Amino acid sequence: MTSQKKKVLLAPLDPVHDIGLKMIKRGLDLAGHDTILLPPDYSPEEIIKAAIDNNVDVILISRTLGYRVAEILGSFIDLAEASGLRERVKIGIGGMAIKPELAAELGFDAGFGPGTTVEEAIAFVEGREYIEEDRGARKTKKDITEKYDYTFKNKRIEKLLNTIADEIIEYVKGKTTPGIERAKIREKMFESDDEAELRQLRKEYAAFCDDIVKAYYANGALKEKTRQLTSEELQALKSYLEKVKAKMKPLILQHIDTNPVVFIQYGTGCPFMDIAHIKTCEAWGADGVVHFDPSWGARTEGFYEGFITHEEDGSVITYENLKLIKDALMPSTLWQVRAHRGLNTPETVLLAGKVGADLTKINIAYGSLGGGTDPERLTVDAVAAIKYAARFKMPFDVVTNEELCGVPAHKAFAGMLIVTMLGLKLGARPILQPLFCYSPEVMISGQMKDNYIDFNAAKIFALKSILNAPIWCGAPIGFLTQTEDRVQSSLSTALHASLASSLEVDGISIASADEAYSGGPISAAARVDTLRATQSAFRFFGHAKIIPTENSEIWASQIVEGIERTLESVVKNGSFVDALYKGLLGSREEGAYPGRAGRGTVKNI
Amino acid sequence: MSKALEKVMDAVDIETFLVCDSEEEAKKISIQMMNELGFSDASIVFIQHLGPGARVRVRGYIYKPGDRYNWFYNKKNNS
Repeated sequence: MTSQKKKVLLAPLDPVHDIGLKMIKRGLDLAGHDTILLPPDYSPEEIIKAAIDNNVDVILISRTLGYRVAEILGSFIDLAEASGLRERVKIGIGGMAIKPELAAELGFDAGFGPGTTVEEAIAFVEGREYIEEDRGARKTKKDITEKYDYTFKNKRIEKLLNTIADEIIEYVKGKTTPGIERAKIREKMFESDDEAELRQLRKEYAAFCDDIVKAYYANGALKEKTRQLTSEELQALKSYLEKVKAKMKPLILQHIDTNPVVFIQYGTGCPFMDIAHIKTCEAWGADGVVHFDPSWGARTEGFYEGFITHEEDGSVITYENLKLIKDALMPSTLWQVRAHRGLNTPETVLLAGKVGADLTKINIAYGSLGGGTDPERLTVDAVAAIKYAARFKMPFDVVTNEELCGVPAHKAFAGMLIVTMLGLKLGARPILQPLFCYSPEVMISGQMKDNYIDFNAAKIFALKSILNAPIWCGAPIGFLTQTEDRVQSSLSTALHASLASSLEVDGISIASADEAYSGGPISAAARVDTLRATQSAFRFFGHAKIIPTENSEIWASQIVEGIERTLESVVKNGSFVDALYKGLLGSREEGAYPGRAGRGTVKNI
Repeated sequence: MSKALEKVMDAVDIETFLVCDSEEEAKKISIQMMNELGFSDASIVFIQHLGPGARVRVRGYIYKPGDRYNWFYNKKNNS
């Protein structure tokens, strides 16, 4: 106990409701105060009499019903004054019907509205200022790979993966690409502060770029719908961030320790709107944010420089843009810069690492079968990118979005596991990222005809039976189950979040309530909707589990068998790159097409 | 633009239930309602007509990415 012991009378001035007072009584008892709790439905006169008889120091009144609230409370205060109590006893009022302004107007010493904490009431009783807990200080950055040792439980799959990953490492030896060369030059730029040398390096860099980027290095020209931000705009950002950062008291979404970390995705094109949305999501509890770049950026050789805004979806990757975002983040926020599908994969990981990103995203199979990049090119680039990820100690997720093209889960997972093994051999820390959604495979085959649980659960069971690795469900969870209705959309996201949590995964990426709306940009309000829904779902389930039906185990076994068959076919084929072209990890019939961007650009050194 | 709308980060959603005979009618009323409220750039996010009328969510964008956001530049609005 930190203050003088008080005698407190707690009285519900209400026909039935007294739960709040019971909670406060418990808190006051634990804090060492003497408490008397009257039953509901006492009259003001009876309460005043009890206060006088017991010689109390403080009276706490509660009122839940709004009916005649001002009249009843006014009458109570009048009686307290007439009896002489008012001069020597502190009187506080709280409850659903109470607004602090009303309490002050009527002459109460304090008014506690909905959401008041027990600690706040105790501070009032003890006569000290209530200092709200700094929730931001409680938030810490979580390394979701920390507790995993990547031990393979399925030795057959481990052996197959070893063979394939060794073959890939051997394949890329002595090969380079424009993407790798640019990354090497960019590194030299980071190390140099000599203007003449930098000019020369920029010339060398431009030589490995597409014309649209060459034009920038030749005369500063940017492609249409992009422009450099002005110094006035950058100054405005600084002022905006100073004010917003000072006001941040972030919510915490997780109710129990095993609830997964929650990521949102941003990429409005405008770094300022991105930052405004990121700060909104951080405030409402998001643990991590994922940078989405423009689709043309992935198909263009080379990066611009400077602070650049873009009028369409996807925020342009430059060192300066990434730095703007990084500097806006709370220290606890996990930040991922994706590098999984384009012609700038090595340099993206380099920039992300240099700026201080926590995570990146690399997957050869998805990037070359569903992302439009040539399989050979992306294989060579990805090995270089994974080496950067390892050097910057930046875990990367291996996303399996080729499932959205129609590739069955077992083939997508085979590709994911190959890149995972490659990552482990190159010293990185990969994260498995299964799609947690209503995928084309199940739409056609009917595994989600009854529920959305079993097949998603089967995927997690399958992966957990293969190796001990972190799992981050993506992206976003519940994809293709959400509609334009924000209530349904938020509910579907929250249910998928609960399922992911029940399956004890480490992370999830959630959409906004605008996920299915394609008529315009995502609104900040729609982001708040799904974060609130997810928090509510975590609170609802706690440690309770969602129980899948027996189908989940059957399908998990089938997925594992399918992975083995796919890996065997890749081993038998002899070349991973060739297997991608041949469709062994996703065929044209299934909807996967080997990408063409960057084809023919791999060179022998 | 009103001072209050300048403080909207990006969009205003109006959610309500319209008494009407069909989804088509609900769409017309929704856009007319938004125009009458002063939103020239309005779009229907969600609409479902059943029985007595339609549940709608209509959006008016105040700012789209790349616009000059007054809440961002105006110091008073940030305070």
